[in-house]
Amino acid sequence: MRPRARFLRKAVVGGAVLTLTLTLSACGGDTGRAGGDDGKIHVLVYGDSANKVEKRIIATFNKTSKVKAVLDTIPGADYQAKLQTIINSEQAPDVFFNWGGGSIKPFVDAGLLMPLDDFIAKDPGLKDKFLPSVFKSAEVNGKPYGVPMRGTQPVLLFHNKKVLEEAGIEPPRTWDDLLAAVRKLKAEGVTPIALGGGDKWPTLMWFEYLYDRVAGPGLFQKALAGDKDAWASADSRKALGMLKSLADAGAFGTNYDSVKFTDQGSPTLLATGKAGFELMGSWEYSTQQDSHPDFAAHDLGYSTFPSVDGGKGDPDNLVGNTNNFYSVLKKTKHPEAVAEFLKLQYSDEFVKAQLGIGNLPTTTTTDKFLDTAADPDFARYQYDKVEKAPAFQLSWDQAYPQTATVGMHQAVQQFLNGGLDEDGFIKAMQALPTS
Amino acid sequence: MTPTATGVSRPGFAWAAPAAVFFGLFALLPLVLVAVLSFTHWDGLSAPRFTGLDNWSKLFDDPVMLKSLWLSVLLTGLGVAVQTPLSILLGVWAAGHQRNRAVLSAIYFVPLLLSAAAVSVLWRAVLDPNFGVPAHAEWLFGDGNLFGVQSSAIGVLVFVSAWQFTPLHTLIYQGAARAVPRVLYQAAQIDGAGRVRQFFHITLPQLRNSIITSTILMVVGGLTTFDTVLILTQGGPGTDTTISAFYMYQKAFKNFDYGTASAIGVLLVLVATVISLIVVRLSGYDRMRSTMEGL
Repeated sequence: MRPRARFLRKAVVGGAVLTLTLTLSACGGDTGRAGGDDGKIHVLVYGDSANKVEKRIIATFNKTSKVKAVLDTIPGADYQAKLQTIINSEQAPDVFFNWGGGSIKPFVDAGLLMPLDDFIAKDPGLKDKFLPSVFKSAEVNGKPYGVPMRGTQPVLLFHNKKVLEEAGIEPPRTWDDLLAAVRKLKAEGVTPIALGGGDKWPTLMWFEYLYDRVAGPGLFQKALAGDKDAWASADSRKALGMLKSLADAGAFGTNYDSVKFTDQGSPTLLATGKAGFELMGSWEYSTQQDSHPDFAAHDLGYSTFPSVDGGKGDPDNLVGNTNNFYSVLKKTKHPEAVAEFLKLQYSDEFVKAQLGIGNLPTTTTTDKFLDTAADPDFARYQYDKVEKAPAFQLSWDQAYPQTATVGMHQAVQQFLNGGLDEDGFIKAMQALPTS
Repeated sequence: MTPTATGVSRPGFAWAAPAAVFFGLFALLPLVLVAVLSFTHWDGLSAPRFTGLDNWSKLFDDPVMLKSLWLSVLLTGLGVAVQTPLSILLGVWAAGHQRNRAVLSAIYFVPLLLSAAAVSVLWRAVLDPNFGVPAHAEWLFGDGNLFGVQSSAIGVLVFVSAWQFTPLHTLIYQGAARAVPRVLYQAAQIDGAGRVRQFFHITLPQLRNSIITSTILMVVGGLTTFDTVLILTQGGPGTDTTISAFYMYQKAFKNFDYGTASAIGVLLVLVATVISLIVVRLSGYDRMRSTMEGL
């Protein structure tokens, strides 16, 4: 019996030690941050190629600040999900990247974010140095919760100059121009418009613009505020009818739901001349520069979304990502350092560095440095459009709460491919949570 | 260790303790926690709030949920139907001893070494309507809208899973086929049975237990398939390939509704358990008849 008893004791002790170790290592994933404060401020951002500017700004900050800043990144697709899991824990950052609007509203409602009024009172530049329309899209319940960072990304109608030339088409200025262009391109055997329907959000862009041109920005704002009747209004039905007839005319071809933007599908259609147009965020430019540099330099054209006859929306209105923002956690232990860090987001160094990688920051000083941009003409074009836009509609899926995203994407995909009719689409949009 | 009458010692309970601790910590405890969460509303931000049977009653009224369960079962069924005959034939073939078979088998097992994510990305590129195979084989694929139509999207999912997992099941059958006693075939040859008869009357019955093992693996794997759907179709078009495991992911990490997601998780565990039990019962595995009987 003795060997057995000794073995049992060993096994139990061993098991206990093992369990304890596992538990400890599970808690200790983030080393050295006892109680969420290690004497530093943590800045959490979406991990991608733009991180090089964020690293540089943090290095500049750390040169003079006593409280040092640390940059943490989460790779793109997982960003929102991971942010949500850590934001109410000890691992929460002090400052984090977001898209303003609906993307931070749940955090504001849960009482986690700091309104920036006090910071702005001490340094008005945190508000005045940014374009007002952009600054506004990070306001929640009338209070500012974000300082713009990175750049603005309006959605534009891109085209392949060669393809349009061969078909004898000018970039369309009105909806009728666009329909005529679709007919001509189809006759040439080209898919008139490249659409990455597999990703669903590119499909949504067509809804966002058409609703704006037909009904003006008010209709969506009403719907977002909870007025479900807005979706059933005459304007809403008119926009849906126009979209349907565009799709039925074969504007997007027949296999768009199998094409993605994210795996280069739709951009390649445009670059190789298999399609004439693509409606896409301004990042289309850097996407093409990366994979089809020749095309980007010579044959990539751009214009704004066409106007609609009798529509209530100003043809200068834009939709897209108004900007990215830094928001601040209420429980940060170093608010002074955070305020100092935010000031750097309107510094000349920041503006120049962002322009250098093709981003278009929305500070009031951007104008001065446009010539240093990766492509000065394109930067100037965008800047002018954003500056004079009477309204800049944040993408619907970011303006609505995150809980609405899946349903909204499904509805726009199904409406365009015929899976839902007009009433079905309206019902689906009315079923989305608005707060 | 207490020596038994025959002098062979039986392992004591202590040997199972580490495994039991691991199982308890990483399987049972989370399962219980998830079951508790399924009775709460939790967005991951504030503390979970008990809502009783709310999530559950909503689930059974949710047309997407019912559709997703049906789709999960359909995909699993199609997977079994496609992969079982293929892997039995390939496994029995690969159980031979000629040299070319060894080389071919080695190449054939490569898909097994790739992660499901890599496999899905690969096939997504191969099946791109404008730049992949469909663009060059219009007689077969039409306009190539494979991911935009429910039937072809399901077809692609079944095909890609089969491409990836048939090698695993082939491996199981190869091992089992090699273990069939050769005397059986020698006796059959003397009796004048041809290869087809030998296959149906010796090989197949001898593979019985492996068929059950492999089927249960396919059922459990099929019901929890997730990565192929995430990368290939994202549950689309619309909700046409939204299987339960993917729906659970959407609820948890897109809608931030962890309560409902937990309920779906528990439901999946129940469905998988029931289906496995049915397979075991129907197949007579519970009687544990040995394939060596009569030898």
